[in-house]
Amino acid sequence: LVVENEATMPGSDKETDLTERIEAFLSDLKRGGSGTGPLRGSAETARETTALLRRITAQARWSSAGDLMEIIRKEGRRMTAAQPSETTVGNMIRRVLKIIREEYARSRGSSEETDQQESLHKLLTSGGLSEENFRQHFAALKANVIEAINELLTELEGTTDNIAMQALEHIHSNEVIMTIGRSRTVEAFLKDAARKRKFHVIVAECAPFCQGHEMATSLSKAGIETTVITDAAIFAVMSRVNKVIIGTQTVLANGGLRAVNGTHTLALAAKHHSTPLIVCAPMFKLSPQFPNEEDTFHKFVSPHEVLPFTEGEILSKVNVHCPVFDYVPPELITLFISNIGGHAPSYIYRLMSELYHPEDHEL
Amino acid sequence: LESLVEYFRAQMRKDPDMASAVAAIRTLLEFLKRDKGETILGLRESLTSATDCLTGVDSSVAVSSGGELFLRFISLTSLEHQDLSRCKKVMEERGELFLEKISMSRAKVAKLCHTFIKDGAKILTHSYSRVVLRVLEKAAAEKKRFSVYVTESQPDAAGRQMAEALRKLNVPVTVVLDAAVGYVLEKVDLVIVGAEGVVESGGIINKIGTYQMAVCSKAHNKPFYVVAESFKFVRLYPLNQQDVPDKFKYKADTLKTVQNLSEEHPMIDYTPPSLITLLFTDLGVLTPSAVSDELIKLYL
Repeated sequence: LVVENEATMPGSDKETDLTERIEAFLSDLKRGGSGTGPLRGSAETARETTALLRRITAQARWSSAGDLMEIIRKEGRRMTAAQPSETTVGNMIRRVLKIIREEYARSRGSSEETDQQESLHKLLTSGGLSEENFRQHFAALKANVIEAINELLTELEGTTDNIAMQALEHIHSNEVIMTIGRSRTVEAFLKDAARKRKFHVIVAECAPFCQGHEMATSLSKAGIETTVITDAAIFAVMSRVNKVIIGTQTVLANGGLRAVNGTHTLALAAKHHSTPLIVCAPMFKLSPQFPNEEDTFHKFVSPHEVLPFTEGEILSKVNVHCPVFDYVPPELITLFISNIGGHAPSYIYRLMSELYHPEDHEL
Repeated sequence: LESLVEYFRAQMRKDPDMASAVAAIRTLLEFLKRDKGETILGLRESLTSATDCLTGVDSSVAVSSGGELFLRFISLTSLEHQDLSRCKKVMEERGELFLEKISMSRAKVAKLCHTFIKDGAKILTHSYSRVVLRVLEKAAAEKKRFSVYVTESQPDAAGRQMAEALRKLNVPVTVVLDAAVGYVLEKVDLVIVGAEGVVESGGIINKIGTYQMAVCSKAHNKPFYVVAESFKFVRLYPLNQQDVPDKFKYKADTLKTVQNLSEEHPMIDYTPPSLITLLFTDLGVLTPSAVSDELIKLYL
């Protein structure tokens, strides 16, 4: 951790430095959005967003919690607009907003329960229509918020390891595991289990980007017996599979997933054969969105992966699409494994209420 | 007690758009103001008899849930203040506040739900629900183009009333027979219904025919959405249709006059949570498993 020496940087320099970093982050987000392989994994994005928010808290000019929340919301809106499909950015912003609310409530001395969500109980017992406007100034608030953000960063660093530690409970010897594409979380999960158990992994290649190939190479380097299959062979091979373990880009508020294309097919094949589908997803992927926004849900990238530009004759007569994501409904999922343990999809609403405040669902 | 019934009827007549639970709570608040009791226990007893009296007028689940909620409100407030007169003042203030908040709940529900209606959607709904009407109003105000199928909903043909109201909003609407739900579902994109009561399991109690519609939409894989305000949450846990108490199934006059209930047609049915996709309430968008959480927070 680098501690900024505030005495050496005069005020206006600090602000230009801050704006420069925010602009650099935004252009990074806009560029890093191509589907040809994540130039940055979600974990790095989450870490960078949180570090940037910590910098904003430390360097921006604000006098009350309300001001800070406004600044963060404003920057947050710009960041999510730069790359709408990268939901971890929005999730981290909401986490930090909740941290600010909690620290404010703690400074005011009120118990944390009073600041929670709407509930029937609150409706009946609250004394007035008073709106919490966060205008009071507390001297220690800045330090408290920064400390809490540091805790969040430590949590982020440990997520992949925490998930991988649970691998031995779920993977047994001589099992056949199926996965799709490349997920760093699943990779660490399987490698951790391979230290003690011997099992076989089948990787679906996940066309057209074929990230499954990289996953297979990496797993076999760790000594795991791996087989690569095409996406079309998923159903055919499924009868021999014991478990399906996948990663995801986002976990939605109803317990559904937004994962790489091909995952819905995999989930349906698993359901048909009654094979358990396990999703390894760290908490920062949990997003309060529902799958109703057709225009922001999908992302389409250049179709030259599907049909290269060399096939010029066909291109003028045919429409070619290359979607990046798939929606998987919650009924097809058996278990979510996150850094805080295993949960059923119907429990996601509870995790969400612990991580985010309902007023922050819309930034 | 007769003046109470009169007050209740007057409330319902004055604002036909008001939910019956809200009218019941308003009536009970009025009763509280007029009450001359000396003890909290006496107050609770008289409120319980007042609620029974109201359910004798309108036997719907909503009135019963409104009454229970009010009773709970009294208990919670009386725990904080021991002195009866001060307690009553606090209760009256909070009661007015509570009424204000729940009068805004339909607007909150509409705000949450209208984003789920996409442009060009075909919606199926059941019978006449003021909350669904509000949601569709909001969606129409946001310039979404959609068309609606409404079931006729016998025996009182309430669906026609819904169709009339929708025609006034310039929404293309078709009235279908209750028996035609399976037939029409292949054309439909989503199903939205209201609820008279939301039970602990996350299921709903609504006009007869809702269960049928839910089973058919599950078979066709169409999303089944329920819109309900939070004061409709009720502490029942029916396991099947028979478990729903008779006092809710039939109209109040039927219960009083008829000897053999098995020859009467029930007015409501129970839809289990496994058939419901999402519930839109003023407490947020909830999955059916989140409903019991809310109820526990209130009653424990």
